[in-house]
Order: sequence, then C-alpha cells, then structure tokens
Amino acid sequence: MATPRAHTRVLDLDEVKAHTLPNGLRVRLLPERSAPTVSYYTFFQVGSRNEKLGTTGISHLFEHMMFNGAAKYGPKEFDRVLESRGGHSNAYTSNDVTAYYEDFAPDALETVIDLESDRMRSLRLTTDSLEQEREVVKEERRLRTENSIFGLMEEQLEALVFLAHPYRWPVIGWMDDIERISRDDCEAFFRTYYAPDNAAVYVVGDMDPDATLALVARHYSDIPAGPRPAPVAQGEPSQRGERRAVVRYPAQAPALLAGWRGPAARSPDSAALDVLQVCLAVGESSRLRRRLVQDEEVAVSVSIGWGWRIDPGVFLAFAELGPRVKSARAEAILWEEIDRVATKGVSGAEVRRAQALLRSSVLHELATHHGIAHALGQAEALLGDWREAGRALEHYAAVGAREVRRVAAEYLDPTRRCVVALEPEVKR
Amino acid sequence: VTHASAPISLPPIHRETLPNGLSVVIAQRPGVPLAAVRLVLRGGSSLDPPRRSGLAHLVALAARRGTRRRTGPEIDLAVESLGAELGAGVDEDATYFGLSAPVEELPRCMDILADVATRPTFPPAEVKRLQRREVAALAHDLDEPSVVADRAMLSAAFGDHPYGHPPEGRVRDLTEARRGDVATFHVRHYRPSEAILVVVGKVDVADVLALVRRRFGGWRGPGGASPPVRAPAPPATRVLVVDKPDVTQSQVRVASQGFPRKSPDYIPGIVASALLGGGFTSRLMEAIRVNRGLSYGVRSRFATSASGGVFFVSTFTKVETTAEIVEVALQETARFCEDGPGIEELERTKSYLCGLFPLSLETHDQLAEKLADLALFDLPDDDIRLFRDRVREVGPEECRLAARRYFPLDRRVVVAVGPAKVVAPTLERFGPVTVVPARKMA
Repeated sequence: MATPRAHTRVLDLDEVKAHTLPNGLRVRLLPERSAPTVSYYTFFQVGSRNEKLGTTGISHLFEHMMFNGAAKYGPKEFDRVLESRGGHSNAYTSNDVTAYYEDFAPDALETVIDLESDRMRSLRLTTDSLEQEREVVKEERRLRTENSIFGLMEEQLEALVFLAHPYRWPVIGWMDDIERISRDDCEAFFRTYYAPDNAAVYVVGDMDPDATLALVARHYSDIPAGPRPAPVAQGEPSQRGERRAVVRYPAQAPALLAGWRGPAARSPDSAALDVLQVCLAVGESSRLRRRLVQDEEVAVSVSIGWGWRIDPGVFLAFAELGPRVKSARAEAILWEEIDRVATKGVSGAEVRRAQALLRSSVLHELATHHGIAHALGQAEALLGDWREAGRALEHYAAVGAREVRRVAAEYLDPTRRCVVALEPEVKR
Repeated sequence: VTHASAPISLPPIHRETLPNGLSVVIAQRPGVPLAAVRLVLRGGSSLDPPRRSGLAHLVALAARRGTRRRTGPEIDLAVESLGAELGAGVDEDATYFGLSAPVEELPRCMDILADVATRPTFPPAEVKRLQRREVAALAHDLDEPSVVADRAMLSAAFGDHPYGHPPEGRVRDLTEARRGDVATFHVRHYRPSEAILVVVGKVDVADVLALVRRRFGGWRGPGGASPPVRAPAPPATRVLVVDKPDVTQSQVRVASQGFPRKSPDYIPGIVASALLGGGFTSRLMEAIRVNRGLSYGVRSRFATSASGGVFFVSTFTKVETTAEIVEVALQETARFCEDGPGIEELERTKSYLCGLFPLSLETHDQLAEKLADLALFDLPDDDIRLFRDRVREVGPEECRLAARRYFPLDRRVVVAVGPAKVVAPTLERFGPVTVVPARKMA
C-alpha cells in the first residue's frame, strides 16, 4: 500500500509578496517562471449570500455588467484591448464570491492592471447595457437551470436545505428578480461591494513582484474605500426531520439528489468531509460507485458534491438511475451505505487511498498559474488567509478513519437530510 | 507588434520506436510531481463495423474490467490507491488511454496500463454489465439538449460516412454487441505497430525507456496498417429539427464541410474561425450576444480529423428566436466571406490566438495530448514551435479565402433541438426540413 507523502510542501508560499494599499485593497503576488504567462485574479467578497429577495441574482448580473465599459475603456473595449494584447478573460459568481481573471503574456501586465483598475474606479452602468445583459442572463438561466435536469433539481434542493439563509436561492437568481433588478440597484451594489476594501488582487506567473506591486499601487491608490457591507443574517433554524421534493419532467430516466447541511469552510470538519467524499464517490473503487453502479446496477453514475462555503454549505449526493429502476430502491441502498460509514466507519486503507487521490487533485490544481492564483484567492475569501492554499495536504494528513466516521454520523443524519427525486413524466 | 512573441520552446523530447513497432515519445520537464501518460491506438470509432456503432468505445472501457492478473475491481483499487487516474475513450480517429500518476508511482501504474491495454480478458459478466450501463447512460445524456444537438449535427454533416455515427454508439448497436465482437476488435486493432506511447513529466528518460521496454516490449500484434478512412463528401443543404416539445430554449448548430488536420488551410482556417466565432469579441459574439442579447454564448470551430472535418457554429436561444439566431449567424458569416476581416480586427485575433497558445501547453497532460496528436497525424514539432509565426503570417485575403471555401454559405446543414411544432415552420427558409423525435437520436 502506498503511503502518501502528506508532508510534502506542494506550494512554496514563502515567495508570496503580500501588501495592503491604504484604501484597503489587498494585493498578493507570486513570481513563478516555468511558463511565459501571467494570471491576474480579482476577488470581490460578494456573492448570492449578500443578496435579498426581490433582487436575487444581482451579484451574477452585475458580473456581466463589469464587461460593458468604464471611463477610460468604453463599451466593448475591455475584451478588445485585452485580446489585442494576447490575453483573455472571464469571471464567475458563486454563493460567496465574484472572481474575475485574465490570463496573458507577460508584456500585457500593465494593460491588464489599467483595465481592471479602470472598471473598479469608474464603471459606467447604462440602461442599454443593463437591458441587453438581462436578456443574456435569462438565456443563461434557461441553459443551466430550466432546461437542465441537474439544474432543476439543485435549485429545489438548496431551497429545501435552507429555510432562512440566502443560500436558499440560486446564484443566477429567480427569473422574476432578474427581470426586476434596476440600474439604481446596480449603482448601489457597485458602490458597496466593488470598493477596493472589499477586494483582493492575486498575480501569479512570469513577473517581477516589486515592479508589479508598484504598478498596482499607482493604478488603484486613488480609488476611495467604500462603506462596510451589511452582515449576512445567519438565522437558519435546525432541521427536525427529512424534507422532500419531487421534480416531474419529461426525462428518459429517473435521478436522485440528496443533501445535508454541512459545516462552514473554516470548520476543521471540512477537510474530513473532503476525505469522506473521496471514500464515498471519487473513483471506481469508491463505496457508492461499487455498490450502486457495479454491484446493484441501480445507477449509471454517482457523485458527491461538497463545496466549501463561508457559511455552512451543502454536502450533496447525486445519482443518475437506470431508466427502469425504482427510485425507492436506489434510495434505500444509498441510505444503507451512508449509515454503514456513520456506524462502522471506513478502513485505514480507504483513508490512505483518499489522501493519495486528494494529493494528486491538489497538485493538478496548482499546476498552472491560473490554478495557483485561484487557490490563493479562494483560500483568502473562504478561510480568511491565502496561506491556507498551501496547507490543504496537512489538513488531509491529519484526518483519520475516526474523524471520517464522526463527520459522517454528525452531518449525514437521516433526520437532517433533504431529498429531491426526478420523476420522468410520460407525455402523449 | 511584439506581444506574445517569445518563441515556443519545447522541453527535450526523446523519440524511439521499439522493435515491435511501438512509437515512444518522452518529454522531460519540470513542474508538479505528476507524470502524464497517453497511450494512443490508431483507429477509433471510424473502425466500428456496420451495426456496431460504439464498439471501439466499448472495447476501450471493457479493457480495464479484467486481465489475466487482475480483476476489474482490483485494477480500480490498485490505480486509485496510488493516487492515480486511468481513463479510456475514443474519438473518430483513435482510442486513448490516459494515465495521470504521482511520478514515483509511475512503474506500478505503467505495469497496470500495459496489462489493461495489451492483455485484457473481457470477462463476459463485466462486458454485459458495461453494455447495460452505457445504454442506461445514453438515456441521461440524451436528456441534455446540447448532447442531442451535437449527435444530430454529426449525423447531418457526415451521413453514412464512418465519421457520421456517435463514438459512444447507438442504443440498439450497444445492446446487440457480443463479447466476441469486443475481443475480435481488440485483437485486430490494438497492436504495437499502430500505437503511440507518450510520457511527460519530471522523469528520467533512461528510466522511463527501460520501464516501457519491460512492460510493452513483449506486446505482439498483427502487422500492417488499417486502410485510411475515405474522405467525407460535403453535406447537402437541409434542416434537421430534433423534436423536444418541452424545452424553453433551442440548441442550434450550423455546419459545413471542413478539412483534415493536415490540410494547408489549417492555420488560415483557425484564424478565420476565431474572427467569426472565437473569444468574446468575435463577429458572432458581437451580433448575437452583445447587440441583440439573443444568447449567452456562441462559438465557431473547425473540428479536424485524419480524413476530413467539419466547420460549425454552435449556439442556443429561447424558442421564439430560433429562426432569428440562425438568420443572424448566416448573415454575419456571409458578410465575413464577402468582405474579409478588417486589419485591426485581424491583428487583434492573431494576438489573441498567439497569447493563448502557451496556456494550452502548460500542464503535463496538455503537452502529452499535443505530442500524441503530432504522432497520430504525423506532424513535425514545428507544428507547435512555429504555430505563432504561422498565425502571424496570415493576411486578410488568405483569411477571406479560407472563410469562403469552408464557412456555411451554399452547402450547409442547420440543426435545431426544440419544440418542432413551433420551430420547424420558421426554419423552412433555410432548406428542406426533416423532423425527428428526440428518442430517435438514441
């Protein structure tokens, strides 16, 4: 049996230069010259958890607005200028953060800093661009949710798991709210959440950190700090019994999605749940794949999603079932396997297998400038410290079979589970 | 203009052909302590016999379900306990085994890879189970409108040509395949003289070579090469509507004849396609997303294979604007073919392609894939090394000619997946319309 080299440092963070500008903008730079590229990430500490009913989806719609022109670089210019300098950009919005990135050749660095600081300083929000992005976002919602079976089910599940917390609604927002968001809403959102003291910049790759920091300071320092964002309400009541929902849809086969409220990312249990996730459903030799897909043949695929979030998030299990399989039978087997882990635990070999797979997965993530910049930003946004990006393997190494059993028992309790079943609807 | 201008430098590459004909390619480079291994066998789904679509795919999956030394579950456990991943799949031209492993576990992983690819036993129960699983998985895949659209496009663009059927197979063919079909395909097409093994990572070349000789040196197979696949004919203009009555958004594809990977039009074609539908500032993105808000995304691409290829535009829009999005896409395409690119636009697109290129070589897995493709299509290293110089040489007229030659003007197929009752009548102006129910795509 292989012993994972759990103590190997995978990322040398001693080289990171960290600095905070007087206006509160945090800057972290890591020179790494194995490839002639630079990755530039900007994380804003805002996501759907900062939203309110009536304007759900504003974080994501706003992400689209960031590409529609500012004072120096007008409409359509952001990507044109960047692409003409050999770069490309994109962005994503999650429950917790909104992140923008550019990947580019080193000689475009100053252009990228100019582009990013321009839109943080002086974004222009016009009615025309808002109306156009509203239509684009509605198409995105039709693509990812309304016409996607997993999208439909996931939306139902989050609404079951959370009664009060804003994680209850989807990141993309409810369709009616997307219709309703106004230009004034966007202006207020920008002033609060896109201020430099609510943001952090990560630069990784072929660049000089001192010169880059000087450039960043020169371009961003005149942007004023913003008001302190309102705290997110945490009044989620405890769950006292299973919650269920059914999605009827003209699908060819049934599917099953289950979810449990987990801990916040900062909890030491988060790493143990990562290990549990691998034991249960990563790889062909994982427990659920073996039992549900290979032995019983009730499912064609099984996966576990455990995404770390700022506030307590969701540990979810998704199974695509065979076309003629009874959902109840698949469910019974799934509960049986989860109960087995919660009561009898997993073996040391299973934990070592999980640690070995997690190590490879961390190495894959850190194999590119883009991946490193993202990992630093993600660690700081969710855990409050970019240094955590280099500590993942230490945390995994500290997890033993006992912890895996404990977190399975504690979080995957049958009285606290939520279940969404897809029932294929037969028409005509 | 000096952006993104540093020459592409490849790590030292060692190439050698073993006495049994296996081509070995080893690239030694620094980076994370994982090794990327890619074993490629020439001939993929285009070798599927009549009424056996999906056979090459099934063989690739079934190979890891048992060998003389290990059962399927033993293989799974051995690979995963080492922190490694072993995957297999096919496209129209080849079968691929991909291995990603901690570099110190390479010897044990290579042993398993060689065992799986060269000595599988295809246990009957495991083959049967895989067949059932693949058929069931298709039911889920075909609930995804974009998957249905891609399958329909292949079939509309290539018809009965070996590139026209989905590599994952059709339900009936997958169901009827026998274990004997699987074993015969393996004996016939998995042979060292038609195989390429690529290893990339922080490895020692001599060690890897010794390892490869030990694990793959004894592999024997029939000699000779499979005959090349005939070139596909261009499609006849038509509209294919796949009926999915309940969706609120149509998936749309517009396709025309492309070119093979080794075509001299490859580079001008890539540039022309990027101008029309690559990145966020392309003509189509501007017309469809930015100016009209018709879609969240639109892109165009040349898919290039050994014997031919397809050019296609891919997008989606709410059901009511299906015909409008096709109209806009075709108008923009025609306008581009007529006028060619502007100078500023062409320079921007070339810089974009050149700047992005190093990002496609950043990881060991990416480089392994590129090196395997070079070997598969018999291309020199200069294909990578000089990519950016060649892109920079493309002029506006060359670009316009490539567009005129391949973009969908006269001979093209339009595919829409959506409610036929609403969509089909609006698409009649683009050619004769055929409607098929979504379940027929299985």
